[in-house]
Amino acid sequence: MAAAGTCGTGTRSTGSMVAAASTNNVTSFQRRGPRASGADSGCSRLVSIAGTRPSVRNGQLLVSTGLPALDQLLGGGLAVGTVLLIEEDKYNIYSPLLFKYFLAEGIVSGHALLVASAKEDPADILQKLPAPLIDDSYKKECDEDVCSHKMEPDIKMKIAWRYQLLPKMEAGPVSSSRFGHYYDISKRIPQELIETSKWHGFFLPEKISSAFNVESCSLTPGYMKLLQFIQNIIYKEGFDGSNPQKKQKNILRIGIQNLGSPLWGDDICCTENCDTSHSLTKFLYILRGLLRTSLSACIITMPTHLIQNKAVIARVTNLSDTVVGLESFIGSEKETNPLYKDYHGLIHIRQIPRLNNLIYDISDVKDLAFKLKKKLFTIEVSQEAGKVVWYSRLFNSS
Amino acid sequence: MLESLLALGGLVLLRDSVEWEGRSLLKALVKKSALCGEQVHVLGCEVSEEEFREGFDSSINNRLVYHDLFRDPLSWSKPGKALPGGPLEALRALDKRTGSGPATIALDSLSWLLHHLPCPILCQTLHALSRQDSCPGDTLPGEQVRVLGLLHEELHGPGPLGALSSLAQTEVTLSGTMGQASAHILYRRPRQRPTLQTQWFSILPDFSLELQVEPLLESQPPSDLHTPSVDPTTHLTFNLHLSKKEREAKDSLTLPFQFSSEKQQALLRPGLGQATSHIFYEPDAYDDLDQEDPDDDLDV
Repeated sequence: MAAAGTCGTGTRSTGSMVAAASTNNVTSFQRRGPRASGADSGCSRLVSIAGTRPSVRNGQLLVSTGLPALDQLLGGGLAVGTVLLIEEDKYNIYSPLLFKYFLAEGIVSGHALLVASAKEDPADILQKLPAPLIDDSYKKECDEDVCSHKMEPDIKMKIAWRYQLLPKMEAGPVSSSRFGHYYDISKRIPQELIETSKWHGFFLPEKISSAFNVESCSLTPGYMKLLQFIQNIIYKEGFDGSNPQKKQKNILRIGIQNLGSPLWGDDICCTENCDTSHSLTKFLYILRGLLRTSLSACIITMPTHLIQNKAVIARVTNLSDTVVGLESFIGSEKETNPLYKDYHGLIHIRQIPRLNNLIYDISDVKDLAFKLKKKLFTIEVSQEAGKVVWYSRLFNSS
Repeated sequence: MLESLLALGGLVLLRDSVEWEGRSLLKALVKKSALCGEQVHVLGCEVSEEEFREGFDSSINNRLVYHDLFRDPLSWSKPGKALPGGPLEALRALDKRTGSGPATIALDSLSWLLHHLPCPILCQTLHALSRQDSCPGDTLPGEQVRVLGLLHEELHGPGPLGALSSLAQTEVTLSGTMGQASAHILYRRPRQRPTLQTQWFSILPDFSLELQVEPLLESQPPSDLHTPSVDPTTHLTFNLHLSKKEREAKDSLTLPFQFSSEKQQALLRPGLGQATSHIFYEPDAYDDLDQEDPDDDLDV
């Protein structure tokens, strides 16, 4: 905090008053010098990187997961250098959405991407990313969904008339340095954005040679190749600070899809006591080491409902930093439950990391449900469910 | 029903059990796709070729390309010929063979392959097989490769079953009651919610499908838990709705803190009659008009 304001306060205040008189900003105070990323950036101990912000609790550098609601639940965002593990829902419909939001956020913020998959070609995954929304159109989407009765969008405010004097949020260009953007799932991302972004793809069937010579190391060959690829990219592009000529620091967003499924060559989903049961856990351990020493953040989706050995799931959870589980109602008895009729599934925040901190950042809300509307993926608190559970516990205990 | 099963493409998983066998459904699907003019490759592992071809007429038999793994799976009789690498090589050969045009591959049984190959390798090979089209999602339905796999679900644990289900685009579970076979079909279209459908059917001797009506079980009357909901806004002693005149009056009401132009004028230019506010005070008989502080007398 102190490092930023090194210029004399006297000169700064006069400068800012002049600035306020000339421009039409919301606040009258304006920081002199190069405009830092984000209007509300706090300390700038690091050179500020686009699309990141320091956490208000412990100063950790955060990136957005692409869903502002999820950012809020995780305590502001995903910390750089950590792993976000998404436990897939049973039919794998909603977890690819979170994966795509993460990657789309990377493209819009100008970060580098690394997409690894054994199922789909990374180029195809990038083509299907959602299109970003500018502020006004998002508010319009919100209004359309929320108000069932007709309401003019520019109704004169009668009671809170002072707020009418405030200017609306500036609809800047899409590649703004804001933290957390909104996306429209029904539209695809424009081709120009993908072309201007820097991305690396890892598609397992192409990388693994057809001769299946199983090496004697304990890591599955697919995992070994992926780790080598990630390490190579981090070193070559200088995300770990090894390339001092790079002037502009950037974040590498890594996305790994369906890790642990049989398509990666791992039989952890097929048998209970498999020979390579430590392959996945070793992979996560080495990956975490790679991430901690570089400016990168990783999202992994894993079909944990297929893993037969429950101890492995516990180990995997411990080895990841943030774990979010998705449970969809399709095919289960909860689909007909009237409590959940507005929602498509439950979202469980299973673990939040404790980085440079003594306490956890867990929010008090435990009953979170998600809903996939035509254009948005929203996370809400399912209050009725919480109330009923509380009442039943109260009456059952008496 | 057969068209809808074949329409989606990808891997179609037929799960059967001892009581409800699935090979006849597999043969019905093979016959249907052969009649549509496609290439059909069959990898036979569990039954002999003659038994598989039995019941098909000659036109279909001519379209069927049969790869035999039943007679000599370890290729003892012809060393170094035909299928040297065993089942894995046979699958890979199928992958390369279906180069052009729509094709259907029938795997006679995935259970046999699961017992002879490690599950992840089988999953990867199946995925490569069903991914023949270069741009998924944009190809015409006729250009896709379909892989029909017969799986005996009682032979495997939940692990391999779950792994293969997650790969399949369509999953058919055969069951039935009272001599009537039924198929529970789960369609997993990409980017859409999966749909579940139940269809009662029977297969005729020439392997064509006949749909049946669901057999009548003794149906319990649906217990009427859903009482008609009472509208709480009727029979009220107060008025909840506003008439048009009342709504207009409400809208035109000036709220106390509303900043209208009249109020602005009044504040900017204090009106003629409202210059200062006067306080009219009439002292009582008991009022003390002494200006001194009464607390001065206290001896504290």
